[in-house]
Amino acid sequence: MRRRQFLTLAPALIAAPVVLRAQDDTLKLRELYEGRDFSPLARDLEGTTIDVDGYMAPPLQADSSFFVLTKIPMSVCPFCETEAEWPDDIVAIYTRRKFDTVPFNRKIVVTGALALGSYRDPDTGFLSMVRLENARLRFG
Amino acid sequence: MLAMTATLLGTSALAQDIPQADSDWFTAAQERLQTQLDAQPNTNTAKNVIVLVSDGNGVGTNYASRLWAGQQEGGLGDDYNQPHDLFPNLALVKTYNVNAQTPDSAGTGTAMMSGIKTKAGIIGVTEDVNRGDCSTLPGNTVASLNEIMTEMGKETGIVSTARITHATPASAYAKTADRNFEASVPEGCTEQADIATQLIEAMRSGVIDLAIGGGMRNFHADDGGRREDGVNLIEIAQTELGAHFAMDQASFEAAPLDGTPILGLFENSHMMYEADRTDEPSLAEMTAAAITALEAKSGDNGFFLQIEAGRVDHANHAGNLARVVQDQKAFADAVAMADELTDDEETLIVVTADHEHAIAFNGYCGRGSNILGLCMGINGDGVEHTGEAELASDGKPFTVAGYLNGAGSVLIEQPDGSYFGTRPNVTEEEATDIDYPQQALVPKSSETHSGEDVAVYAKGPWAHLFNGTIEQNLIFHVMHHAATAE
Repeated sequence: MRRRQFLTLAPALIAAPVVLRAQDDTLKLRELYEGRDFSPLARDLEGTTIDVDGYMAPPLQADSSFFVLTKIPMSVCPFCETEAEWPDDIVAIYTRRKFDTVPFNRKIVVTGALALGSYRDPDTGFLSMVRLENARLRFG
Repeated sequence: MLAMTATLLGTSALAQDIPQADSDWFTAAQERLQTQLDAQPNTNTAKNVIVLVSDGNGVGTNYASRLWAGQQEGGLGDDYNQPHDLFPNLALVKTYNVNAQTPDSAGTGTAMMSGIKTKAGIIGVTEDVNRGDCSTLPGNTVASLNEIMTEMGKETGIVSTARITHATPASAYAKTADRNFEASVPEGCTEQADIATQLIEAMRSGVIDLAIGGGMRNFHADDGGRREDGVNLIEIAQTELGAHFAMDQASFEAAPLDGTPILGLFENSHMMYEADRTDEPSLAEMTAAAITALEAKSGDNGFFLQIEAGRVDHANHAGNLARVVQDQKAFADAVAMADELTDDEETLIVVTADHEHAIAFNGYCGRGSNILGLCMGINGDGVEHTGEAELASDGKPFTVAGYLNGAGSVLIEQPDGSYFGTRPNVTEEEATDIDYPQQALVPKSSETHSGEDVAVYAKGPWAHLFNGTIEQNLIFHVMHHAATAE
């Protein structure tokens, strides 16, 4: 399948970044979780605008302002599974405006307002516990 | 020193004046040689048989895990031994399926548990079954070792960190035209039940006495459940079979280990990776519980137990070696637990993998290079690496381990659908991060299995029959022979 591409800031050629390391103020996705629960850091940052790095899972819906951020690229083994197995620790991203799909294995950094608590996406039915709202994204 | 060693070990090599005879390497090898000379084949009847399968832990993956475990203990890694590395008997295993050079766990599980090779994607049936076609199933089912051992009066169990309806554990009890029929079968498929139902029926008939793993969703139709028929198999297990049901650490620890049937279903899908595990038992804890419970019920008749580390495979599929090695360490701990709780005189322990992955290793790395990290230079003036990363022709460092394909591909999809990329300039800190996907070449969503050999390690009665390069289905025959030998 050929996906429609890409971010408005996309360069002519997309290569894996020279330096993948997040900036000092960029959180790793796993820092928002502690086991199955929110981390104390996440509770402290609730409602504030933060930067989180991760990967864009293949969007569930085209022309949407919603996608799922995962800590490692979302891989699906066609021989082992009949569907994507979502990990527990994901972040639902609601962007300011519609976005173009980023390859699932290209590191990105998302900036948005952190929201915690159960929320079911009205269009896809996707249930999330952690969200970044009014978000924008850039390459990591 | 030389004379003393020669007297102690008595080998012909040491009767001569060999200048390196007092080397630690030399004496250690002499001790191993003597152990081999002293070894006597164990031809007892195996009262118990335990097969431990680390899914996807081929020789390469096992190598990575060995080094990681050794480095976690502060060593250089190479000279470390996992428990099974020290087992006295070993063979290399050809894992291909009848129709697949690169095998899958359904075909390999059937080979190990039923003694025949079959096609990829089908379980407990012969190669005359076409995947997904239930009509080809009648007359083509085979008996699993669990069924055979049950007829011999033994108790049997299965433990897995994957869904308990996943291919490897299912090969102990299921006959299915498709490994994906975990919670339902297609409309019009009347020749077989779904795999979860087959497990409960195997428990009802006494073939399976204990089943502990992941995959609760395939057993109920409530919130998160996948059963289209609305049947609650967990309730059936509890009310009709008298089974203890465990779903978290507390209910696992409350399980009676007196022979009461046990159904453990942690998580909706697979159990957690070892690196992320919370409120779930470890594979070693589940192994101990299973052995204790089966021993209690079986008495002098003995038991047969299959244990699977199912998520070594999944982390490999993700190209995430950091989680591979941690799940493999949990597997090694389970091997140690099984060995500790049983007697070599009466228990055959078989440790193997169902298949390998497309993992590979770079060179030339100095000793002590972090197996997850960068390949450091060889130190000509010492033992441990130089601390300077080796550089490839592109002037960038590279990790010791990588994958031939997968999500870590350096080729990235472009806006026009083509693929292009250059290797990232990875640092040691990035490469050793728990979430790092190792660099790969061929772009694929999921890294793949490979057809490369795996090893089988064994100890106990008739373990010496594992020798040379063997077809995977021979594993069944050795286990069966060990349990039935007069």
